[in-house]
Amino acid sequence: MSHETTVPETARADAVGTRDEATLRPVPFRGGGFVHRPLGPVAPIVFLAILALWEIGSRSGFISQIALPAPSEAFGALVDLATSGMLWKHVGASLYRLFVGWTLGSLLGIAVGLAVGLFSLARAGLLPLVSALFPVPKIALLPLFIIWFGIGEGSKVATILFGTFFPTVIATYAGVDNVDRNLIRMGQSFGLSWLSIVRKIIVPGAMPAILSGFRISASIAIVLLVAAEMIGAEFGIGAYILMAGALFALDQLIAGVALLSVLGLCISWLIGKAEKRLLSWRA
Amino acid sequence: MFSFSRRTFGVLAFAGAVAFTTGAFAADKINVGILSLTSHSPSIIAEAKGYFTEQDLEVEFISFQAAQPMAVAIASGDVDFGMTAISGGLISLADKGVIKIIGGALQETPEIEGQKIIVSKAAHDAGVTTPAALKGRSFGITTTGSSFHYMAHKIADKEGFDRAEIHLKPLQKVPAVIAALKSGQIDAWSIVPNIAGPLTKGPEVVEIGKIADYIDNYQVTTVFTSTANAEGKQELVKRFLAGLSRGIADYNAALVDKSMSEEDIAAIVAMIHKYIYSDQPIDKADPRIRAGAMRINENAVLSLASVEDQLEWFKSEGLVPEGITMDKLVDTSFVETR
Repeated sequence: MSHETTVPETARADAVGTRDEATLRPVPFRGGGFVHRPLGPVAPIVFLAILALWEIGSRSGFISQIALPAPSEAFGALVDLATSGMLWKHVGASLYRLFVGWTLGSLLGIAVGLAVGLFSLARAGLLPLVSALFPVPKIALLPLFIIWFGIGEGSKVATILFGTFFPTVIATYAGVDNVDRNLIRMGQSFGLSWLSIVRKIIVPGAMPAILSGFRISASIAIVLLVAAEMIGAEFGIGAYILMAGALFALDQLIAGVALLSVLGLCISWLIGKAEKRLLSWRA
Repeated sequence: MFSFSRRTFGVLAFAGAVAFTTGAFAADKINVGILSLTSHSPSIIAEAKGYFTEQDLEVEFISFQAAQPMAVAIASGDVDFGMTAISGGLISLADKGVIKIIGGALQETPEIEGQKIIVSKAAHDAGVTTPAALKGRSFGITTTGSSFHYMAHKIADKEGFDRAEIHLKPLQKVPAVIAALKSGQIDAWSIVPNIAGPLTKGPEVVEIGKIADYIDNYQVTTVFTSTANAEGKQELVKRFLAGLSRGIADYNAALVDKSMSEEDIAAIVAMIHKYIYSDQPIDKADPRIRAGAMRINENAVLSLASVEDQLEWFKSEGLVPEGITMDKLVDTSFVETR
């Protein structure tokens, strides 16, 4: 969008005076631009440059070792974790909690979200409840969760479930609300049954919003993982990070945080794949 | 976090020295970290009674929720002195050369009621009536490398079963451990008497033993400061400890030995109430402050044997770097040791 826009400036000035001439002039192409080009190598370069600067800063003593450990130390902690076999125990325990909590939370969230989107009674009854409970910090309820769900897997899964449920409800009903009414009216004109309209028009139409809700709820689930593993967790990435914090072992702390980031990238990639598949009708 | 390198410290120390020579009458300002526990009362008493002012110190208290952030704040230079249990975090920071233990505080002594081992009613009914029966049971701790972790393992060691056979449940905070114990989610815990007392009065929790039977002369908490203070401002550290020692003497006389007059004790409880249990009216807080006070070492005497035993335990569990030595952890030049 750079040079195409500068040409019409002079053309417009001429056009005011000599209209006849202007009609004969070729119209320059004004489209294009505002499109992202894929620049594959940029992201890794930025990432590596930051790591290199950080490493140099740590080695030279510019970054104090009580403020931040060198990335090589954090990597060393990660290697220790992998060679001791604990990495899989921690990752496995966390993935299980994430998977069960997020899946249940999302399924319930979509169900309630659809109900709120489709039925006036559900909307009147449930929406205020969702609004009231969504902002309650789940971490504040941890002592209660211990009593309700125990200190086993129950309270950890429940923390993630509650964390993902509410954003999914909101994303889903907002998606249902935004489905093109003309499409619904068209379906009605063609005599589709209510169920067919929901299945073939409303759910696919709300899918983009639901999937972008998934991106948010999956990130919230990872954030809540650390909170969930505060309660009696022996293994798990969150438990590992908390332990490292309590021992002030900063290399392990950064290693744990890096694991969470990688987990976030993987989930985002998976959701990207799901978007391509489920939203293929949009292209 | 604000990082505090030696170089910047040197600059500040120089600036401080210049300021000192120009304005010699200004009292030194220090920040003292406290937790809302009665064991932190000595510095509060010393401040309220003017013992710090006598030492030409202007004290500001900074409240923390847990020992770990306090240790980090001392390392960063935001807080000058603190008093907490020896935790893995504190030792790691000492290994990095930023903080040092300079004195002893709370200690288990034979004649005063000390920390208790308590179990849930369900566990008690199931036969856990002595600490020996804790084998294969769950034990609540706040975090890995906390004093609770140490106590649990010391019980296992003395009762002769493997440390792994006492199942530790990290629950992060004391209230969470209490909730888990009351509801029977965990079997056992060990805690200072002023928390254990109210718990065992209820029907859900039963006392089964004392920590003093498992750990000799347990130095529960210590006084610590930044290495920069211990090495560069020895005069300041000595003055702080002198003021603190008078506070400790008053605390012991008022709450442990109860050798003061009732009026004086009430006055001291009122001072403590400004910072501890301050969310409750004084008539409710008063018994809680008085109950189960444990002795704090006169003149902040430090039990080196106990500190060494704790350090060895941390090393044996691989919770702290291998290379840490007693010299790195403790500066013995300020108080008497035993």
